Amino acid sequence: MVPLVAQITVSHYLVVGAVLFVTGAVCMATKRNILGVLMGVELVLNGANVNFIAFGSPFLREHHLGLDGQLIAVFVIVLAAAEAAVALAIALNFYNNHTTIDVDRAEDLKG
Amino acid sequence: MESLPVLLGLAVLAPLASFFVILLLGPSLGHGGKSAAYVAIGAIVLAGLLSFISLGIWLANHWPEAPHDDHHAAASEHAGDAHEGESQNAKSAHDSHASEGVAGDSHAASHHGSTPPKVSGEYYVLAKIGDLQLSISYYIDSLTIAMFCMVTLIASCIHVYATGYMHDELHDITDHEAHTADGEHVHRPGRFHRFFQYLSLFCFSMLGLVLAGNVLMVFVFWELVGICSYFLIGFYIERKSATNAANKAFIVNRVGDFGMIIGLMAIWSSLGTFAFDELFEAVRPGPSHVLQTPDGMVYASAQDRVRDIARELGPDATPDQLETAIQERATTENWRNVGPDGKAPGYGYWLLIVAGVGIFCGCVGKSAQFPLHVWLPDAMEGPTPVSALVHSATMVAAGVYLAARFYPFFAPEVLFVIAIVGAITLFMAATIAITATDIKRVLAYSTISQLGYMMLAIGMGGWLAGVMHLVTHAFFKSLLFLCSGSVIHAVHTNEMPEMGGLIKKMPWTAYTMLIGCLAIAGAGIPFVIGLSGYYSKDAILEQGHLFMTTNPGWGAVFFWAAAGGAAITAFYMFRMWYMTFLGKPRNHHRYDHAHESPWSMVAPLVILAVFAVGVAWPIPFSSLRLSTLLEQARPAGGLNDMQGVLVNMVWPNEHDSHAASHVIPATLIAFGTALSGILLATMFYVWQPHLAGEVRQQFSPIHRFLVNKWWFDELYDWIFVKPTHVVSGVAARFDRNWIDWIVDGSAKVTRRFAYGWEWLADRVVVDGFVNVFAGWMYSLGLATRRVQRGNLREYVLFILVGALVLFVVISIFRVTYAGGS
Amino acid sequence: MIPSITDWHSFFFYLFATVTCVFALAVLFATNIVRMAFYLIISLGASAGLFILAGAEFLGVMQLMIYVGGTLVLLVFGVMLTAQERFISMKTRGGEWVMAAIVGGALLVLLVQTAFSIDDWTAPRADLSAVSAIETQTATRLGLGLLGIRPDQAEEADPVLRQGMSGYLLLFEIVSVHLLVVLIGAAYLARSKRVTSLARAAEMRR
Repeated sequence: MVPLVAQITVSHYLVVGAVLFVTGAVCMATKRNILGVLMGVELVLNGANVNFIAFGSPFLREHHLGLDGQLIAVFVIVLAAAEAAVALAIALNFYNNHTTIDVDRAEDLKG
Repeated sequence: MESLPVLLGLAVLAPLASFFVILLLGPSLGHGGKSAAYVAIGAIVLAGLLSFISLGIWLANHWPEAPHDDHHAAASEHAGDAHEGESQNAKSAHDSHASEGVAGDSHAASHHGSTPPKVSGEYYVLAKIGDLQLSISYYIDSLTIAMFCMVTLIASCIHVYATGYMHDELHDITDHEAHTADGEHVHRPGRFHRFFQYLSLFCFSMLGLVLAGNVLMVFVFWELVGICSYFLIGFYIERKSATNAANKAFIVNRVGDFGMIIGLMAIWSSLGTFAFDELFEAVRPGPSHVLQTPDGMVYASAQDRVRDIARELGPDATPDQLETAIQERATTENWRNVGPDGKAPGYGYWLLIVAGVGIFCGCVGKSAQFPLHVWLPDAMEGPTPVSALVHSATMVAAGVYLAARFYPFFAPEVLFVIAIVGAITLFMAATIAITATDIKRVLAYSTISQLGYMMLAIGMGGWLAGVMHLVTHAFFKSLLFLCSGSVIHAVHTNEMPEMGGLIKKMPWTAYTMLIGCLAIAGAGIPFVIGLSGYYSKDAILEQGHLFMTTNPGWGAVFFWAAAGGAAITAFYMFRMWYMTFLGKPRNHHRYDHAHESPWSMVAPLVILAVFAVGVAWPIPFSSLRLSTLLEQARPAGGLNDMQGVLVNMVWPNEHDSHAASHVIPATLIAFGTALSGILLATMFYVWQPHLAGEVRQQFSPIHRFLVNKWWFDELYDWIFVKPTHVVSGVAARFDRNWIDWIVDGSAKVTRRFAYGWEWLADRVVVDGFVNVFAGWMYSLGLATRRVQRGNLREYVLFILVGALVLFVVISIFRVTYAGGS
Repeated sequence: MIPSITDWHSFFFYLFATVTCVFALAVLFATNIVRMAFYLIISLGASAGLFILAGAEFLGVMQLMIYVGGTLVLLVFGVMLTAQERFISMKTRGGEWVMAAIVGGALLVLLVQTAFSIDDWTAPRADLSAVSAIETQTATRLGLGLLGIRPDQAEEADPVLRQGMSGYLLLFEIVSVHLLVVLIGAAYLARSKRVTSLARAAEMRR
């Protein structure tokens, strides 16, 4: 079969997850805007979620994780939501103090 | 029957609940804690009700049958008629309950070689170590139930009495007997609630002690009643004498408990159980229930033989093989009866004796037997209700109770020791009581003496006699104590020479106390009827007489000690009554202030007097009475004749003492001694009052000997306290002269050495090392500082690089060591 | 040729996967923060499609609602609150880009290699039609799973496996309470400064 119509497996999903993860991580490493860093975090978490879903999916392989994958994904989503709120609060506070959102300027503790 | 553990368990817990309520709410209960008394009374009355319900249930299932040859009961013929039907009922009732796991059979209870009816089991298993098991268990037979009824009834009376007696404690108190450092009288808040708190705790402990189904639990409650006794003796804690007495009681009891712990260890290490039924089954296995050394003790003692067998079998033998080999050898060589030297006391017999004597040591301490009796007279420093409850009726009787409970476990030699101790105690305490002038101390020595009677009875094989005396004595002795408390409450002194003629002022107290005196003297119409003491004391003397005819030497000593003690008892009790209530008032100031006590104190007196008169009476037209009820609890095999191994004596069957050849002389002697004692007292203190003084001068050495209580305190002071002082003095001098010299010298040397060493070791070596190390660390820190640039994005990169490196390292390891991925 | 179910599945998978990856990369390479937020929305939405394709319908919907409807709105708020003209784009140095690209590329290669290294992961499920019949489309199974009841493992022979590893309700509660506390703390953190700035403004006015 041509790859385009071959049946989808866990590995396909894992590749998507890997791309999301690496993109997010690089995003975190290169963005100077604190909100950009936050978006990178969201991407990383989403990449992890894709993996969980893939491992828990009954469509993709015989020995799937079952509901455990989805349940952990629920945890991750909840965590990500809360993390976003907290990080945004920190960002706003940072902005109030430094009148900037450049993470490179956050170096008060540098020795 | 299966409801008994629940009922009695609740009866035990009710006072505990009261204790906690008072402990937590304390003085906020009512006016100055007045309601604490109601809480405590409610709890103990509830316990009493539960106990009597249990008695009813017990009787419904196990109606006691008439004794084989009852000589006391006037209505014995009627009882015999009525008995037939009752016994049938009891039997059928029992049959219908046969599947409940209730051991024994009421009908066969008094036959030789049967187990008494009982209910035993576990509430809760605390710990299991292999086969060993510790549990909160119960052991209920008619003795347990009788003790429950007795304790709760007396305790209820005393609680009510105490509301009147301790009335002063409701307000602030100035204690005239206690002084502060600057010579003032101690002024303190009242402790009414505290008193009832302790009483409740005591009732809980005492009932738990009686209910306990294994020796360890008995020991725990044993210590609990001990600590309650300590609290209550030291209730007036500001008084030096009270704290001293409390300490004395506690420490002297520890001596006895030490022996008890040895006994417990002997039992535990050799038999691996504490449960009563298992112990009794091990010592007296059915169906014959003849005493024999249990297997565990035999094997534990025959270590040399066991080692030989192990050597023969070699190191490859399994434990099972070893065990069977030991069992075979033990049977063929008859270890149980043939000892290491090939003679009579077989292996393990000494261990049995040690266990028995050890347990009895605990009884000696708790029941104030010679030589540990010295604490009980001093314990009279506590409030009088305490003396009545703790130190006459219940706690001190716990020793006798334990001795009775453990009776099947006692080898003849142990019984011999018990009898000797009991005889010495009863005689010694009785003589001291003659000269005592403190009304409570007279009663205290009387208590010791009567406890000696019980021990003597048990030691002579008179199980029923001892236990019966335990119950009857509890009633009349608590009555006597409460009467004395009533007198003390009225005249505010303990000294009998300050009293006299009080019968006009307080008739209720006087006549109830007279009943108590008559009961303890064993008054009655011979062969017809009498007060409660008449039944129990005669039973003891009968057993003594039987013992004397079986064993002429020691038996005679025991019998005449008991008989003489009976005469002295009658004498000192009536001396006390005459000095207190008859004659002319010797101190008019005190006499004028005297008054009859309030109803809350008189009512318990009357109730207890009724029981002191009639507790042992046969119930008309039935076979139910105290003796037949208690007979049901007689331990299995308790009616076999026992032959001593180390002492050449025979312990006769108690039922033989009911033969006319023993009953008639014993009853007559008892009557004669009691009568002569009473007459002698009457002569000395009523008809010819000057005679007492003359006799006192005539026998002044003996009088001094008795007034000083046989110089026991001085003796102990001399034997134990003084040598300790001497040794500690020597040790102190040694400390000061030698140890101090050595310590000072070594300190100096060390100091010198330290100065030198400090320069070399500290400054050069340690400081140098530390400084160099610190320098390294500093430069390392400077180097790594550059990495920490505070750039967030770099950190993220570092994390990723770290993850990558980890992957690479793991892959290398897998390829290298696990042979590829 | 009319494509079978498998083919439609593959088709939609590739569609959503492409959208997800492309827009994730767009987030990475965009310099305008507002655009980044928009690309992120699209990427996450497409990954919700992937979830649904994998049989996790509830999670897919949750992803849409919470991320796209909640979290990203929050992010956009953050952008609007902080973004003034000069902060919207901040340049990163070229050296950092190179460094990040090397590390990220290495990681990507590693992850992709890992994804195809396990046989069980690469083998497709054979009896696919049997599976799709028993699945229901509601959140009930997920809720039961939280409670520790595993409808999806009902025919599993091994009793330990049958129970699965779930029953996370208590943990979920704990995490929720914990996060609530964190959120309250965050809210406090975010607002406390503004009070002082207002006070300072009032002071200046005086």
